[in-house]
Amino acid sequence: MRVHIPGALRRWTDGRDVVEVALAPEKGASAAEIIEALARAHPGIRDRVLDEQGELRRHVNIFIDGENARQLGGLDARVGAGSEMWIHPALSGGAR
Amino acid sequence: MSAHANGVKFSPAAGDLLLMVGTAKGAFLLLSDSRRADFKVSGPHFPGQSVWSLALVNDNNPRILAGNKSNHWGAMVSWSDDFGATWNEPTEGNIKFPRGSGAALNAVWALEASTALGADVVLAGVDPAAMFRSDDRGETFRLNEALFNHPDRPKWNPGFGGLCLHTLLVHPREPQRMYAAISSGGIYRSDDGGDSWNPCVNGLRVHPDVPGATLCPHKMRFDAENPSRMYLQNHPGVYRTDNDARSWVTIENGLPSDFGFPMVAHPRRGGTIYNFPLVSDEFRVPRDGAPRVWRSRDAGATWQALGRGLPDRAGFFTVLRDAFCADTLEPVGLYFGTRGGQLYGSNDEGESWRALAEFLPPVLCVKSALVA
Repeated sequence: MRVHIPGALRRWTDGRDVVEVALAPEKGASAAEIIEALARAHPGIRDRVLDEQGELRRHVNIFIDGENARQLGGLDARVGAGSEMWIHPALSGGAR
Repeated sequence: MSAHANGVKFSPAAGDLLLMVGTAKGAFLLLSDSRRADFKVSGPHFPGQSVWSLALVNDNNPRILAGNKSNHWGAMVSWSDDFGATWNEPTEGNIKFPRGSGAALNAVWALEASTALGADVVLAGVDPAAMFRSDDRGETFRLNEALFNHPDRPKWNPGFGGLCLHTLLVHPREPQRMYAAISSGGIYRSDDGGDSWNPCVNGLRVHPDVPGATLCPHKMRFDAENPSRMYLQNHPGVYRTDNDARSWVTIENGLPSDFGFPMVAHPRRGGTIYNFPLVSDEFRVPRDGAPRVWRSRDAGATWQALGRGLPDRAGFFTVLRDAFCADTLEPVGLYFGTRGGQLYGSNDEGESWRALAEFLPPVLCVKSALVA
């Protein structure tokens, strides 16, 4: 599967905007497991996407094949071997 | 490592004055020689991020520390060993609560470096309220468990700024004694280097309109000559202690109000302090739109308004608790930043003021240091 990296985090992926994560086709994985796999290769990613309790940061969104993971079970959302996953800064604002 | 500056590079000489200004959308560094006539400005550093705290590890290998926060990607302590030309952001978060504790770092409100604890020690005060300690000049930190697990913790409540530990003071001669101030949680003293903490709220009055007011210190400072004496701007009330915070007495008589955020002590002259009163808890602006710095030279017995150069009308800005500081030159310089983005400075101990910058993002903190 492929993970699309937002511009702000590409310094932690050597500038790459897409990172491949190998996944056994029959098993799939959770979004959390994909982030952990991503972080093993690119350690700066994890703490910027997840807080220290392992929760997705409030103003970060993950989309899996076009669907917001928050509507798919959050970090438990299933990811298939052919999936595309996007990490996005949320559209938040108004206060500052 | 990344460069965030506007291309201005500093090469300070010993004795130069460095002002470090944290704002809601980045940090700015201002550098002057000791005359303080002209300031070079670099920044914004961390553009788009809020910078809640700044400090200088001030020895032969100077290091600027920043408590920067991205609203998307989290908060951390970053550092620069070249006066802001480049910054090191930790690959993994360097201030983290233990897994399973339920707490997650929101912001780094306080960074204290170059204290009597040693040149390599940095203390961090954070939201949610906790103290972290670094022994490697701010690169890695560990949680102070005694304060984090204090039995009073269930009584602490977040204010508009979160549940922040915003002030850490280390006794200059007895570094095992330290103080932590939490909004709203209260003032705590440790006499054993942080192994245990005891509340210090005797004498702080209960306010009929503000339940929990005794537990909401806004800023606390040591007296320049007698560290058993300290000064406190509380949520409502201005106080002094003469006995290591065992009890507090009110010193607000003569001030236009008992509400404000900062408290600043003269760096050499005992009994001289500065305050920035606001109308009230409900209306957090200077009275009549005429901002004034109020000074006492007798430990709070009497107060004088200082404001030459400050607006006489339509000056409805707020100065936050960490946005007012003094330098250590002669005469002492004073600096404050506003939520409106102005940065004011005084080269004559507060008698007169001028704008050093007028259109910054909202100012969260202002710190000064003479480069070693």
